[in-house]
Amino acid sequence: MHKTKLALALLLGLATAPAMAQDIKVGTIFPLSGGAGPDGQTVTNAVKLMVQQINDKGGLLGRKLTVISKDDESTPAVGVSRANEMVAEKADIVIEGWNSPVTLAMQPILARGNILDFTAVSKSDLILSGETNPYAMRINSSNGFDAEVIAKYVAQTMKAKKVAFLTQNDVYGNGFQTAVEAEFKKMNFSGEVIMTEKFAFKDTDFRVQLTNIKGANPDAVIVTSSSNSSGLPALVEQYRQADIKSTFVGAVGIMLSTVYKVAGDANNGVISADIFFPDLPPFTTMPESVAFVDAYKKAYGVLPDKSAALGAAAVQVWAQAVAQTKSLDRKTVAEAIRGKAVKGTVFGDVQFLPNGQMQPRYVVFKVVDGKNAKLEALQ
Amino acid sequence: MTAIESPHSAPIPFLRCATIAAFVVIGFFLPRLLGGTPVAYSTLTTIAIFAVMCYGADIVLSYLGEVSLGHTVFWAIGGYAAANLAVKYGLNGWLTAAATIALCLAAAAFLGAVTLRTREFVFSLVTYAAAVVAYEVAFNWDAVGGSDGIVGIPPLKLPLLVTNFSGAMQEDLWPVAFILLLLTLAFIARFRRSRLGTTALMVQMNPALAASLGVDPRRIRLAVFVISAPITGLAGWLYAYQRAYVGPDMFESYFLVMMLTAIVLVGRRILLGPLIGTALLIAQQNLFSLGGDWNKIVLGSVLALVLIFWPAGLVGLYRRITKKS
Repeated sequence: MHKTKLALALLLGLATAPAMAQDIKVGTIFPLSGGAGPDGQTVTNAVKLMVQQINDKGGLLGRKLTVISKDDESTPAVGVSRANEMVAEKADIVIEGWNSPVTLAMQPILARGNILDFTAVSKSDLILSGETNPYAMRINSSNGFDAEVIAKYVAQTMKAKKVAFLTQNDVYGNGFQTAVEAEFKKMNFSGEVIMTEKFAFKDTDFRVQLTNIKGANPDAVIVTSSSNSSGLPALVEQYRQADIKSTFVGAVGIMLSTVYKVAGDANNGVISADIFFPDLPPFTTMPESVAFVDAYKKAYGVLPDKSAALGAAAVQVWAQAVAQTKSLDRKTVAEAIRGKAVKGTVFGDVQFLPNGQMQPRYVVFKVVDGKNAKLEALQ
Repeated sequence: MTAIESPHSAPIPFLRCATIAAFVVIGFFLPRLLGGTPVAYSTLTTIAIFAVMCYGADIVLSYLGEVSLGHTVFWAIGGYAAANLAVKYGLNGWLTAAATIALCLAAAAFLGAVTLRTREFVFSLVTYAAAVVAYEVAFNWDAVGGSDGIVGIPPLKLPLLVTNFSGAMQEDLWPVAFILLLLTLAFIARFRRSRLGTTALMVQMNPALAASLGVDPRRIRLAVFVISAPITGLAGWLYAYQRAYVGPDMFESYFLVMMLTAIVLVGRRILLGPLIGTALLIAQQNLFSLGGDWNKIVLGSVLALVLIFWPAGLVGLYRRITKKS
């Protein structure tokens, strides 16, 4: 009798143990090598940190979480292979996306594999179009919202009368300019756009454009540039050398640490906006944000930047939805997030729009000490 | 004479046919033999598509002796033609394939005519410049997709008389990729024995002989370049359906390096060379990956080492070893 009981218990244990021990798989696909490698590693590190914190509190639905991290090499074709691997490994969620083309290439693969897909950083509007993934979700702000905050600052706060654009000549730069102009029109902007100067992503010499801008003497120059390690620092330096008096208004998210490192004090006076800062209010007063900044600093020795916050928020939002719905199903979890409010993320209490976009909240700032990347929050 | 020889030669073609047929059957069921998982299907489909892509550049490299750095243009033409026509006009796979062939022929005729007088380094440079120009056009021209590319490419539809084939899943695309690969192999095999193929080789190896026979080398060069384009183009066409997304990344050096390495790795002028080369490279990247930076170092080093030490590829290396022993 005893023996049979024992055998039964053993059998039961054998039968149930694997199911119990099965970890929830959190996949990440970011560039971990090449030029964007350090950025992708930052996001991946933040995801790992958040997963660790959840595990320390006992996991999710009574199961432990493991992170599977993969490198898309900033190449869509490689991203596709990695996405296929995630499908094969049956990841319960994939947090991905530094470059829009890579995200757009991976989306259909993950969607067909019925894998919940969170885009952390990639900004293209096509990602949330619903054409390839009806349950798409994104943490980073979209170009439309970015344009609104910049247009409002220039038109309403600065009350600029003459505005010039210095625009990177590609879909990102032109798209942002079009969106800002549309916002101007919407708010019946009384000033005018007096000039548009364009440059290519790879350009490092902007003296012709800057001479033209100096001649026109606008109140504000709205600058787009995604070349934050070479083009933009050069642009900032040359802007100061040309002694232009107009206010330099940078598009959302362009003032990354490399710009401060290279152009230093030339950045002083630059105005821009972004959605996360480890050392500016309101983030310094949000308990979740402070806890995240402390933990990240302790784990990795540096302050987390916006991309780290985006990765962390993706895990938080997903984990809350899973705990709330008690499900890992793609549709169930996505429907608990899209169009709903989520409390207590590193971005504070946030609202998701019906199309899966997390509604951004911006801080407009001014660079006061470029060498040390010291900023001052405005408004 | 034929009467005497035919009984002897008959069994050999039969044996050959049987062997080829056996390989075809095994090849077709290979994904199932490897477990039938979605990854097996998608990896083998990718290998088949990339191999076809390589065969276009292979014709130019093996039979003209020229390195075309512009074949990514035809690859991208295929992808963009399929994406634009399928998404904007809802055309089926036959029509997008026909458009791919037509556009590739036109682009290759133009590029071939422009590069008619150039040789070796200058030829490579001009074809590379063409790829850079095409990339900039695709990147900046919103009407064909711009820097974001085109999303929402519908599943491949190939209506044929009564059947209405639709390749929604990776498993469904495998037969199409496999047939495309077979057709390409048959075409290349035929080309090698064709008048054009042999004359092209003569022009490359012995220009004096070719000239004395009254061959116009420029006409041959143009013809070979033009027929190579739709092969790479059709690979791009199928790739668009496999990935369901097309963007300017189709011009990336990833594909160019893949083409050239796959061709020289095994050895030029070997029918199955590019296929085996592609399979080795994709297997390394997907199954024995050393991480992004290391993969690129491996790929670049393999290309450099092969070109420096065994210009005849792995086959040449094998021959040298067997000769020594």
